[in-house]
Amino acid sequence: MSESPLPWAVIGAGPHGLTALKNLLERGVNAHGFERDSDLGGNWNYHAENSRVYESTHLISTKPFTQFPDFPMPDHYPDYPSHWQVHEYFQSYARHFDLYDHLSLNTEVVQCTPVGGNADDGWDVTVADRITGEQTTSRFAGVVVANGHNWWPKTPQYPGQDSFTGEIRHSAQYKGAEVLRGKRVLVVGAGNTGCDIAVESAQNSKSTVHSTRRGYYYNPKYAFGRPSDQTADLLLAMKLPLALRRIMFKTTLRLTVGDFTRFGLPKPDHDFFETHPIINQQLVYYVGHGDIVPKPDIDHFDESRVVFTDGTEAEIDLVIFATGYLAHFPFLDDDWLNPTGDHPVLARQIFTPRFDNLVVSGLIQPDSGQWTIAHWQGVLIASYAELMRLDPDRAREFYRDVIEQTHVRFTGGANYKDSTRHYYEIAHQEYLVALEGDLAVLEKVSA
Amino acid sequence: MRQWDWSVPSSGVYREVVSSMPAGWANESRSKRTPPLLFIHGLAHGAWCFEENWLPAAAAKGFPSYAVSLRGHGGSGGARKLSRTLLRDYVHDVMQTITELPQPPVLVGHSMGALVAQLVADRYSPRGLVLLTPAPLTGSTPNLWHIAKQRPASAGAAVVGRTLPMTADQLFPGLDPGTARRYVSRLGRESPLVQYQLLGRRHIGPVRCPVMVAGTRSDSLVRERDVERTADAYGVEPAWLTRADGSPIGHDVMLDLGWEQALAEVLGFITAQVMR
Repeated sequence: MSESPLPWAVIGAGPHGLTALKNLLERGVNAHGFERDSDLGGNWNYHAENSRVYESTHLISTKPFTQFPDFPMPDHYPDYPSHWQVHEYFQSYARHFDLYDHLSLNTEVVQCTPVGGNADDGWDVTVADRITGEQTTSRFAGVVVANGHNWWPKTPQYPGQDSFTGEIRHSAQYKGAEVLRGKRVLVVGAGNTGCDIAVESAQNSKSTVHSTRRGYYYNPKYAFGRPSDQTADLLLAMKLPLALRRIMFKTTLRLTVGDFTRFGLPKPDHDFFETHPIINQQLVYYVGHGDIVPKPDIDHFDESRVVFTDGTEAEIDLVIFATGYLAHFPFLDDDWLNPTGDHPVLARQIFTPRFDNLVVSGLIQPDSGQWTIAHWQGVLIASYAELMRLDPDRAREFYRDVIEQTHVRFTGGANYKDSTRHYYEIAHQEYLVALEGDLAVLEKVSA
Repeated sequence: MRQWDWSVPSSGVYREVVSSMPAGWANESRSKRTPPLLFIHGLAHGAWCFEENWLPAAAAKGFPSYAVSLRGHGGSGGARKLSRTLLRDYVHDVMQTITELPQPPVLVGHSMGALVAQLVADRYSPRGLVLLTPAPLTGSTPNLWHIAKQRPASAGAAVVGRTLPMTADQLFPGLDPGTARRYVSRLGRESPLVQYQLLGRRHIGPVRCPVMVAGTRSDSLVRERDVERTADAYGVEPAWLTRADGSPIGHDVMLDLGWEQALAEVLGFITAQVMR
């Protein structure tokens, strides 16, 4: 071992990059972060080029699930903080743990190259200064990829779309309601973003049509007198079986909003907990007021009109595709992250079978808050990096064992609908239990 | 996983945080080597017990020093809900205070506050952990029994959910009666649920920072063997705090005669072990 071991590189200073950096440093593993924007925060840095939050974005999970467990959000934040508050929270996290000194802002990673082809001696990471354009390459012991998976837009293509006379934009280019004013708007997609925009459109535009491929369960932000995710976890903590939890939540929905199909919304073609949860209390409200007209999937575009699969049509000025994002790693070779079909499949959503010192953080879509899990991914990565330095043989043994479980997914017993948005879906409690088990193995060997 | 923290989170309350800064602290370039100190008080006490002597004295030695009153204590809110307060609410209060500090602090916990400090260190990595006459991790049931043999009425009050009565000769036997009376009058109430929680055994994961465990040899609330056990759990030797004349100091090491010597021990540990 050389006198001072090579540092680890962390790509991206969003929540996952920050907590990976913090935990590596805390374990005494030298590490350095790179962020292409002028400030940290990633997606939550509203002004960044690749930020996908819009003016009205709020968290859809409450503080206890969403915060870093060792750095809680302030008491004066509301249950569901806004993206501004979230960004401030990340800044204070970075200040408290002194991360700014270990972070290069305005620095874009352009290429990661495994030294000698197999990365046994580390990685050469080439970065470009976004102001001067100057490129530099340095060597690292390992690379943590945390560039996010909600920034590279996935845009569908329908017949006639190219000759459509109205405007088409992806929700990635949606920052606020002013673009909607006075327009006849079509919002495509019933993710949390699609529902948010449909609601904003109902409040601001001339008319709103909302096209979805299937029916969904629109969950309220509050249920049983408390934030609904806290209720859901209370039921999980009480170890109630999935079937019973489904019945309870369906009953609540039935007692409050009632039958979705009564509003003209399609009946869900799946069971509760089988798609990523949609937390939106207002959508059904506006459908009930006639301000949002639900429609099925688009069949084709016809000049200024959009024709839907049920044969109905609507005159539209502005189409917003809230059709989601794809993971995209422009600085890695495509086959390094075990691509299966069109997306990477990783052990624990972290480790690739190709290299033992290339790890990914943040390629998860939990059915709950994200950053508690981000923290524990960071701890696991840091603990693994520490062991690689202290006892490489044991680290390799851990890696071999975990890679053998690459196929294991953490679904909480539900069968997720096959859709690009569920590639990285995890049931948070089941996933955390798995990470806890891995950590116990790592800590035991490092102790 | 902390499912209960997630599904039934602690509510926020007003927190009293008192501080003393070294002279010129705001203007100087702050040294990253010098950690802030965060003091956590014990049963029925408040931030005032550190404000009295230790905060200004530690600041004079160059340490930015803070003390927090746990909810229902001192000047903090939450007194009306004290009867429903749990240890994890105290942990919440300390975590909230930590996030407002410019960098990770050394946690200095006294008695029950030492237990709270350990629970905090179980989820957050402080720069150092100082446990003064710490409530034992193995549970305080033997301590209650010990108290019952000497003062059955006190122990009985605690058993039925009243705040454990503590007297000047238990806490600060070296003080003159006037000062001692003044301090005793400032003692407040304790959550009965927390008092019951103290009786139980707690498991705490490995702590990665330097740890100091200190006790006193004349303490009737936290016995010598409790201090030794806590020290054992962290693999360190216990420090025994004494006055200038070598006599043992009382349970409230930050108030009793000899607090200067006790603080010097603590700061000595921080300088030698934490700021290496």
